[in-house]
Order: sequence, then C-alpha cells, then structure tokens
Amino acid sequence: MESESARMSSAAEARFRIDAPNSKPRVVKVIALDQRSERVVKELAQGRWNRAAFFTASAFGGAPRKGESFAGWLSDLAGRTKNLVEEVNSADLVVMVATAGENAQAASLIGEACSLKRVTTTALILGSADVPDETLSKTLSQLRPWALMLVIASAEEYVEDMLLALRA
Amino acid sequence: MLRKEQNDLLTQTGPGTPMGQMFRLHWLPALLASELPENECPPVRIKLLSERLLAWRDTQGRYALNDEFCAHRGVSLWFGRNEQNGLRCPYHGWKYDHTGQCIEVPSEPAESGFCTKVKLKSYPLVERGGVLWAYMGPPEKQPPLPEWEFALMPADRRYMSKRLQESNWLQAMEGGIDSSHVSFLHSGELNSDPLFKGSKGNQYNMGDMKPVFEVVESPGGLFIGARRNAENGNYYWRVTQWVMPAFTMIPPRADHPVHGHFWVPIDDENCWAWSFDYKVTRPLSQHEVEAMDAGKGIHVEYVPGTFRPAANKDNDYLVDRAAQKRGDTFSGVFGIAMQDASLQESMGPIIDRTKENLVSTDNGIIMARHRLLRSLKAMMDKGTTPPGIDLAHQRVRSAAVVLPPDQPFKEAAKEALVVQAGKEHVTV
Ligand code: FES
Ligand SMILES: [Fe+2]
Repeated sequence: MESESARMSSAAEARFRIDAPNSKPRVVKVIALDQRSERVVKELAQGRWNRAAFFTASAFGGAPRKGESFAGWLSDLAGRTKNLVEEVNSADLVVMVATAGENAQAASLIGEACSLKRVTTTALILGSADVPDETLSKTLSQLRPWALMLVIASAEEYVEDMLLALRA
Repeated sequence: MLRKEQNDLLTQTGPGTPMGQMFRLHWLPALLASELPENECPPVRIKLLSERLLAWRDTQGRYALNDEFCAHRGVSLWFGRNEQNGLRCPYHGWKYDHTGQCIEVPSEPAESGFCTKVKLKSYPLVERGGVLWAYMGPPEKQPPLPEWEFALMPADRRYMSKRLQESNWLQAMEGGIDSSHVSFLHSGELNSDPLFKGSKGNQYNMGDMKPVFEVVESPGGLFIGARRNAENGNYYWRVTQWVMPAFTMIPPRADHPVHGHFWVPIDDENCWAWSFDYKVTRPLSQHEVEAMDAGKGIHVEYVPGTFRPAANKDNDYLVDRAAQKRGDTFSGVFGIAMQDASLQESMGPIIDRTKENLVSTDNGIIMARHRLLRSLKAMMDKGTTPPGIDLAHQRVRSAAVVLPPDQPFKEAAKEALVVQAGKEHVTV
C-alpha cells in the first residue's frame, strides 16, 4: 500500500489544503531615517497596503540630552508629529530604511523602543553602491546593534517587494 | 508570500518558460561521470527541465545527450545498441551518432540520403570535475565551461553525489539559503555528524541561538551572513553563497571539507539535489570518503541501484518518533539531507506560496526571489544575460570568519569570499 507520506505529498492531495486565512494582517511600520529614504518611503506610501504605515525620522537632529524630550522628530508623511513608543507598541514589525552614508542616528532610539516593547526590527540600507566602504561602515555600525535582519539592497524596489512578501 | 503568477514564473522550467530559459543559459550538472563509465557503455535516461533525454558515450568516448525517442516510430533509444560510433534503435535499426544525426536508415537506399534529413535534438555534454555538464540553451549563447572551484579540483580532493528530490527545485533551493532552520532542524547533527562536529564555530552556534542576519547582494546572487557574538565584541559570521539560479554553498566548519549544492529541475515536480564536498590543499581522507559513501554530512544512502534516498516518502522517511522524543533528531528523520528533503517534499510538489507567512529572518529567501524575478524581467525585456553565467560569479566561496563589529562582511571578508588558488577556505 502507498505510504501516508507518499499520498499526502502528491499534487492531487495538495488541492485539499484548507483554503482559509492562516494569519491576520500584521502591522508593519516603515520609518525612513534620512531624506533620500524618505523619498522612497513616500512613493511606497501611495500603494495599497493591508496594515503598513509609513513614517519619517529624517528630522532627527541627534540624541537628546538628559531631560530633553524626544518629541518632534518622528512624524508621519504628512508631517504630523508621532509618538515613537506608541507607534512601536502597536507594531508587529518595524522596518528602518536608511541610505548608506546618511545619518542613521535615529536608529538607536527606534531600536531601543523596539527592544523595550519586544518588537522585531529590520533595517534596509539603500544606495551602498554609491559610497565608499568606510561610509557604509558608519551606517552599519549605527544599525547593526538594533536590527535582527539587515539587508543591503541595490534596488529601491526591494523595499516594496519585501513588504509585499511580508503581507504588509 | 508570492502572487500566483510570480510563483508560476519561478517554479516552471519547461521549454518556452522564462525560468526555463534562464536555466538553459547555464551549464547544468546532468549526470555523474561514473554513470557513463566507459566507451559503448549502456545509455542512461535522464530528464532535465521537463525534457526527456538519453545520455550515452560512443566508441571513441564522445558524450552524447539527445532526445530519448527514435525519430522513426518513437521507441525509447534506451534499448538501443551502442555500436561502432553510434546508437542503433533496436526496432527497425535506425542509427544515430553522438550529435543526434541519423547516419543509417536500413530500409532506405543509402544513396537516397534519407538519413541526412533526420536528426534528433541534442545538447552538448561535457565532463568536468567528475560531473557531466549539459548545455540546453541556444548554441550562440553557449558560455565557457563552468569554473566552480570543486569542479577544478583533482579527483582525490572532491566528492560529488546526487539524489532525487520529489519536489520543485525552488523549495529545495530555498532550503539551501534558509539559514535560520539550522539551529532547529539540524541541531542534533552539529555535534554528532562526523563531517560537522568539533568545530569552534559550533560553539558559537550553540552559545548564541539567536543569530542576526545580514543579506547582501553579490555580483552573481547573494551573500547571506548569519552573525553571532564572538569574543571581545567581535562577530562570528557564517556566510552562505547563493549564485543564480541554483548554486548554494554552505559555510565551512573547522577543517572539514566544504560543501554545497546545485538544485536542478527534472520537471516542475522533481529536482536533482547535487551535493559536493571538497578540500583545496589536501586529498579527502579515507575516513571522510567513507562517511560520505555512508550518507553522512549532506549525502544520503540510496535505494540500491538508484539515486532515490533509502529514506523516502514511501517509507515515511523512516521517521523515528522515539529518537525525536529523546532529542537525537529534531524531526524524527535522520541525516541532514533527508531532514531537509522530507520537509520540503511534505510541502507538496509545488508549494503554494500565496499561503506563506514570511517573517523578517526570511529576507534571504525574499531577496533571492526578488533577484530572480528582476533578472528574469531584464532577460525577457532586454536580453540581459542573467547573473551566474559570468565565470567570475562562479569563483566564490562560503566562509566562517570572526570580524570586527562595524565592517561590512562583504568587504572585510572580501578575500575569504572568492576563490584563492591553493589556499583553503577561511574557517573557524
Ligand atoms: S516553522 Fe517554518 S515551516 Fe513551520
Ligand atoms: Fe537544511
């Protein structure tokens, strides 16, 4: 007799895989860290997404000193100020988009908020082909401590492909 | 996830399909040289990219790869008589040479030249590194012979095996770049398999169960780096290579032979998993070769006389639930290759990627699909040569290396990631 594994892994049986959703949409928050990535993110935001929301931290001026507030640097794409911790708190995944050679200092604040709230972070670096390695190194050292997954992509379209692949 | 059209595009490799065209621009491993051991030996039936072919070796040792069926009335030429520089169909005696040209039709007068009008589709088949490589694309695009490092090694420094995998090529290949499964599925083998155990890297592996990943495009495909913490704030990197479309190379461990795979479509529901092992500066030891013959490491034991693994879907992969419970194996299946193959076959012949829920650690897979789709588009729209054909793309290595925390591994490990003649792989 045919074994159970043989029968179950046939093309004929594949048709009977239950056709019901096996997940709920996840909330993905995409944050541009600099102006060039902000342009990419703005374009992306025009598309239709399940649960993706887009932000920019390009106004980030550097880490605030003790007692100073964080407020003001994270905003949605319409320029409305957003509260980082609240945004992270309601996310399943935070994607930081950075351009090689640009200031990615906001990553540490975003990353800290993510690790506080136990939210996974992914970082995408664009434009690495246009800069020398030392410049890329700087961006890497700002992102590496905070990203569980880091992608250095040559094509800007990767951001969209990745979000689609993640059902964002 | 992928949309259905994208999944179809990447999984269909028959004649006329875009992905099939991409595969057909490469030299593909078709048979082990040992399958055609001598002149006038019995021919071998082989299916590649959904085409049924016959491989054989003529009186002068010339290799032939042609349409399996006789042009007359369609008999399989596998029954053919391999005689005097040609293969003769046993039905009515038509005879073909190694290029597929019909050279004799006994029923017709020789002077009529009838046989010159009959030619079987045939492809170049060439031996290199113990493998017979086939090129099934347009003759004007035939690239130079492949220069994968293992294939250029002397015979005693390399080992090659192949096994039938009863699934589409893509789900098999994706397993080869899915670095995050190793700490689960293969956890048992890191310390027990004779071809894996006893590497310093294994300690880093076990010491830090949550690696962090970095995916970086390479000229021919991808580097997939898994990073763990090492001493003094440094990082221990394991860098896997993927060269488009179907070559993957696993990072080395200690002084063990380095290994990798080709994932070659047989048809859309089956593929060949080719598995190579090699050392650059020394012959493989007898102990290593024995272990490989016994199906250890990335190799398998076979159903005798076939390339089908002894543990296969017909015997439920010899699953051992007690061993699973004890923790000897994570899935109950023994051996790295069959742990992978059993799970990939269990997905069904062609996994429906519209139902997946990929996560952040799957970016290696996401990027591989993205690059395949992008290159397919460039190939179809503009005739751009896809990555992986350029010989420079083939001269790559995987690496296991400890690096300072801020450097891009692509640069910091630049030398470790390409072939260095006469030097071993960089490994920990
Ligand atoms: S946990 Fe990855 S396929 Fe089930
Ligand atoms: Fe595996």
